[in-house]
Amino acid sequence: MKTILLTIAVIFATLNGMSQSKEYYTAMGEALGQYANCKSIADFQALGNKFGLIAEAEKTQWLPYYYHAHCYIIMSFMEPTDGSKKDSFIDVAEKSVDKMIELAPGESEAYALQSMMYSARLVVNPMERGQEYSILSAQAVGKALGLDAGNPRARFIKLSNDMGSAQFFGKDPKEFCPQASELLANWDNYKVKSPLYPSWGKEQVLQIVNGCK
Amino acid sequence: MKKYILIFLLGVTVLKSYTQTLVSGIVTTGAGTLPGASVYLEGTYDGASTDEKGEFRFKTSKTGKVILKVSYIGFETATREIDLSAGPVRYDFKLEEAFNKLDAVTITAGTFEAGDKKRSNVITPLDMITTAGAVGDVYGALQALPGTTTNGESGKLFVKGGDSEESQTFIDGSIVYAPYTTAAPNMSVRGRFNPFMFKGTIFSTGGYSAEYGQALSSVLLLNTNDMPAEDQLDLSFMTIGLGVAGTKLWKTGAVTATLSYNDLSPYMWVVPQNYNWVKYPNTAEGAVSIREKTGKTGMFKLYGSVTKSRYTISQEDLNQEGKSYDYALSNGNYFVNASWKSSLGPKWNVASAASFTSNKDDVGYDSVSVNKLLRGVHVKNVFSYPFSTLITLRFGTEFFSKTYSLDLSTSEFSKANSFTNNTTSAFAEAELYASSKFVTRIGARMEYSDYLQRANFVPRISTAYKVSKTSQFSLAYGWFYQDPTDDYLLYTHLLGYERADHYTFSYQTSQNERTFRAEIYYKNYKDLAKLNSEAFYLSESYSNTGKGYATGLDIFWRDKKTIKNGDYWISYSYLDTKRDYRDYPGEVIPGFASKHNFAAVYKHWFGGLRSYVSTNFKYSSPRVYNNPNSEVFNGEHTKPYRSVDMSWSFLFRQNIIIYAAVTNIFGFKQGYGYSYATRPDLEGIYRSASIGPGASRFYLLACFITLTHQGEANQIDKIE
Repeated sequence: MKTILLTIAVIFATLNGMSQSKEYYTAMGEALGQYANCKSIADFQALGNKFGLIAEAEKTQWLPYYYHAHCYIIMSFMEPTDGSKKDSFIDVAEKSVDKMIELAPGESEAYALQSMMYSARLVVNPMERGQEYSILSAQAVGKALGLDAGNPRARFIKLSNDMGSAQFFGKDPKEFCPQASELLANWDNYKVKSPLYPSWGKEQVLQIVNGCK
Repeated sequence: MKKYILIFLLGVTVLKSYTQTLVSGIVTTGAGTLPGASVYLEGTYDGASTDEKGEFRFKTSKTGKVILKVSYIGFETATREIDLSAGPVRYDFKLEEAFNKLDAVTITAGTFEAGDKKRSNVITPLDMITTAGAVGDVYGALQALPGTTTNGESGKLFVKGGDSEESQTFIDGSIVYAPYTTAAPNMSVRGRFNPFMFKGTIFSTGGYSAEYGQALSSVLLLNTNDMPAEDQLDLSFMTIGLGVAGTKLWKTGAVTATLSYNDLSPYMWVVPQNYNWVKYPNTAEGAVSIREKTGKTGMFKLYGSVTKSRYTISQEDLNQEGKSYDYALSNGNYFVNASWKSSLGPKWNVASAASFTSNKDDVGYDSVSVNKLLRGVHVKNVFSYPFSTLITLRFGTEFFSKTYSLDLSTSEFSKANSFTNNTTSAFAEAELYASSKFVTRIGARMEYSDYLQRANFVPRISTAYKVSKTSQFSLAYGWFYQDPTDDYLLYTHLLGYERADHYTFSYQTSQNERTFRAEIYYKNYKDLAKLNSEAFYLSESYSNTGKGYATGLDIFWRDKKTIKNGDYWISYSYLDTKRDYRDYPGEVIPGFASKHNFAAVYKHWFGGLRSYVSTNFKYSSPRVYNNPNSEVFNGEHTKPYRSVDMSWSFLFRQNIIIYAAVTNIFGFKQGYGYSYATRPDLEGIYRSASIGPGASRFYLLACFITLTHQGEANQIDKIE
């Protein structure tokens, strides 16, 4: 009987723990499923809020911070004109990026997103911020590729940085087209560590490849 | 058995999910409903975003008392404890706008700020570099802003009816005693510092903080770059010289060493010059800059430089017809600037700064030799403490020590004069935000000089009020004291401080990258030092009986929006000023003041050509000068100053920039008045020579190369 009671206690404890992490998986899975439905800044804001909520409830998981920041970075890219709005979105993203890197200092994906955030800052005013943020963005994506040379999102971010600066400096960005095709061709060969890990980016690369034609 | 337990537990979970409570409400702000706000129960996954009508509704399986939280960018997060045991909960929120210093109202009266921290800045660090007429000179760039008057024969800053000595420069908080290069009389000088050293600039043309003393007219606050991003080697090749700079990083710090040598001989052989050079100017400079992070928040900065320059020029001796003499100048400048900023615990912040200057000019002409030596030390500590996000107190102490000596010797006699002036000062200032719309800065400062044996006390106050999201008014009032000019203190310590009272009122509106700004001001000068007889060597010849005023209107319009890839600004200043100071016989318009000053600056990025082109037009109405042959003091007028300047930066590669600049493209004739003999000739006439620029145009061609590990960084902001 004692053993049975102990077993019950253990199972109970395990189940309790599992149900919490199950809740996390469910919530994350549900939120990730909504990416596809996001069309406007408001949509991404609502989704970002969801990830922010999970991040705050969990506190030790880096992935909710990742997606929270990711949504706000996308919002800054979507905002058509207002520079100070763009910056205010990136301000929100930056807080989550900092927390994420604190939680997962060895994650290639974390630095890839940080690089994307710096590029978002640069885009607000390339003339004045180009010098500072192009270096920061290059350093971050360099770190990401250093941790995982095959990370396709890091490779995509580096590619779009290179194409953007080529365009800014009046060069033909098409010289990067072979790279883009190669990246797209091998996209699915990259094994994502877990279903909650970032897996986005294929569509964006496809767009680049289509633009090359 | 196990199976039963499992089923039992699952049952509990299922049951739990059936007892759900609805939470709903509406979120508003002062301006109406707020869509997109995040509403959730703290520490849970239960929550929702508000819809277009600001409404939220979600179900939760939680029970009992929980915290309901609402957050949105730019607003204070609101919380409310709710009880879920009593059925559906409805609660409405009204969010208050969050106080964010970066977006809050700032004091703009008299202030131009360039830095990327505040995003509402009117000018940016890049402007300091790319303004065409400046050709890489910090002070030259400021002369395209309202409130300044260009004096071609000086090159120094003249602000709102103030003499150039009334402006002070501070680097990372400490004073720069010798900010300009040295030149022969009536020849233009430049700033000693490379504008690329600085990430932020605040140019205050009046009404500045109690932190800054010893300036009657304006302060220029330069903040040096923080940590460099990577190891690099910069090479520069210019038509006037060469330079190399190397940067090496380590984990917590970095060092940059710079060497440069400029020699104008080759340039001046090719381009015709107005002056009769005997030895062309050359300058050699070495500088070291060190950065070290201290602790988690601290940063220590050290900058040291040694500069040697010399030239010889032949000038006409106006006192003896047909005679000229060689004027030989050699300058040695040593400068050290150190600063440390850190937080002391969670709230206190400290900023310490110190500077040391030694500037020696050795001048020889005719049979006269003059040796001037200025040695200065400045030490400063500033503490700040935020009582809340809205109230910050700053206070600090300063110590200034300045020794100036002038040795004069001729074939007949020699004379040595010097003085040492130690000034101790303290200041305190509170910045009070009533809301993000209204700020007041109130402060006071006191100084004591052991040489003058006098103390002064000044109040300063400024406020700003945002009338709408895009427009604001700002007011500043204060008293400003400064020691009389060094040339007088050599001979007397009987003088007191000179004083100016500032009243500034400004309006600024910015929207969509367009900024309009208008400012009116009045300055009342009192106790200006006067030399009352020809016996300048007697201490009794001096008195504080001078006075004057300056009043004017400054207009500034900048538009980065209308023209794609283009950016322009227009600046106009009206100035009405008179003063009685130095050896003036009464209250007259001073020789450095222009009634109308106009500048138009245009910059354009040509992506296809990888080129950044900048051009500007500057105009200053005629100034007055004194002709001793005339009855009227300061009764003659110079030509107006006109210049169209242009610069072109071409990104040959991402790490190679080619830069070309030319000043006064159209060759407008420029004359800055006349200099006169110190005594009349046999016919009773003071002989004269016209004062003008060294050449009608200045050309610069340069190539900047940056080498890094990545080979991508460039010197786009290293255009000199």
